[in-house]
Amino acid sequence: MESPSLSSIQAQLQACHSKEDTFRTLVTLSKTLPRLSNDEKADEHKIKGCESAVWLIIEHNHTDFPQFKADSDAKLMRGVLAAILSLVNGKSTTEIQAMDLSSLMSSLNLGSYLTSSRTNGVLAILDKISCR
Amino acid sequence: MFDPYSIRQEFPILQQPAYEHELTYLDNAATTQKPSRVLERILGYYQTANANVHRGAHFLSDRATSQFEQARQTVERFIHAPENGQVIWTKGTTEAINTVAYGIEHLIDPDDEILISSLEHHANLVPWQQLSFRTGARLRIIPFTSDGKWQAEYANYFSDRTKIVACTQVSNAIGVQLPIKEVIQHAKNVGAMTLIDGAQAIAHYPVSVSELDCDFYVFSGHKMYGPTGIGVLYGKTDALESLLPCQTGGEMVLHVTYQATEFNILPYRLEAGTPNIEGALGLAAACDFLQQHDQEAVLKWEQSLAEKAYSILENTTDIEIFSPKKHSTLISLSVKNTHIMDLNGYLDSKGIAVRGGSHCAHPLMAQLGVSGTLRASFACYNTMEEAEHFANTLLEAIELLQED
Ligand SMILES: Cc1ncc(COP(=O)(O)O)c(C=O)c1O
Repeated sequence: MESPSLSSIQAQLQACHSKEDTFRTLVTLSKTLPRLSNDEKADEHKIKGCESAVWLIIEHNHTDFPQFKADSDAKLMRGVLAAILSLVNGKSTTEIQAMDLSSLMSSLNLGSYLTSSRTNGVLAILDKISCR
Repeated sequence: MFDPYSIRQEFPILQQPAYEHELTYLDNAATTQKPSRVLERILGYYQTANANVHRGAHFLSDRATSQFEQARQTVERFIHAPENGQVIWTKGTTEAINTVAYGIEHLIDPDDEILISSLEHHANLVPWQQLSFRTGARLRIIPFTSDGKWQAEYANYFSDRTKIVACTQVSNAIGVQLPIKEVIQHAKNVGAMTLIDGAQAIAHYPVSVSELDCDFYVFSGHKMYGPTGIGVLYGKTDALESLLPCQTGGEMVLHVTYQATEFNILPYRLEAGTPNIEGALGLAAACDFLQQHDQEAVLKWEQSLAEKAYSILENTTDIEIFSPKKHSTLISLSVKNTHIMDLNGYLDSKGIAVRGGSHCAHPLMAQLGVSGTLRASFACYNTMEEAEHFANTLLEAIELLQED
């Protein structure tokens, strides 16, 4: 499945009016996130503090446009990752560094899927993708 | 007559929705909800009796002290403590276990052994492990199978080196009951002390510490319809006497000079500082609540709810259930190729509160070969409809999550 654009993800999530809608949308989004290979799911790529296992890889490939890859063993988390990565996919390092990721995150309408015990993990993910 | 529908009316928190659904609260092994009489007891204390206890002679202080000491007696009667003053207030099970693990440190030699079961909550594991690190004593784990049975070589674990045996009565992670009477007997045969973790038992099973004849019995108020921040360390008088106080300060002393301190008598010696007075009163009200209902009927009901969920789920190929079908008040399971957090998330979106995770029992999860389980745990106010709703919604979640 092709990675949906940020605006389409925002539209899908903003159309959710219940926790259940958001759950289903995240599960659908999870299918758009390409899976990592077993080699890529190495400990060095693991994000600490998540309830589920999360791996995040940033490849720079000698260009100014980093490539983001992520995976999780939980579908909800893969949905969340698909949404988060849509914020930075296709952007240059300079553009990403100038972004206010946490307020962009609020625009995704992920609500309680970002709060409580998941927060630590998501903060660590944002920190890593911010390219600072 | 026991009727879950009318008991439910006593729990204001259950009368509210969760998102756009009815709230289905099945995380009772983590903490139970509180009936009105517990809430009223706490409020009433602040409205009519608030003062520091055991200090200053005045109207309110006398009232607070007498209510506080009556609460202790209520709990002592509730667990059938043979003597008064054998209940020490703590902030919960964890603090009670730590009070013992620190308190007996002076009795432990490097060639002693400390025994625990392989089904323990971290609260009844880490304090003993740390004690073994501090003293050089050896921590040994008695292997239990996940159905709560001993393995054949168990008897070899008990020897004259065994100093203390700490064992849970009911596993919080998989609901199984352990043969604590046998454990206590084996410990007594070798002259070892015993501590029973009653955190998961106290809300469901009638407990008589005099019948069990263990040295220590510990539990938390919040898992038996009482408030958080209060718990109990019961001990036989000589066992309590043997503990060195791990906290010192006010309340626990008789006389202090710069050169020395004379400690107070039990139970005060082990209760440094101003206690959680409202918690003690709330916990006593929770004991009254439990005793007012037919405890045996309640237990049968709770077990029938777990059994109902079990029979709806047991024939689904991908589901593995770790709790026993009968005689458990909870169901604990995992689903092949499906993450616990996803199942938990779907149930939550339907207003169903369960617990997914390792249940503070990492070694047990390793023994079961899973990273965590999904646990639905039942209380007196849960209904058959709720048990069915949980099981059917879980099946829905599995279908939704396994389609690709
Ligand atoms: C078996 C068992 N032991 C100990 C504890 C710790 O209780 P508390 O956190 O109230 O101290 C729990 C709580 O989950 C438990 O289930």
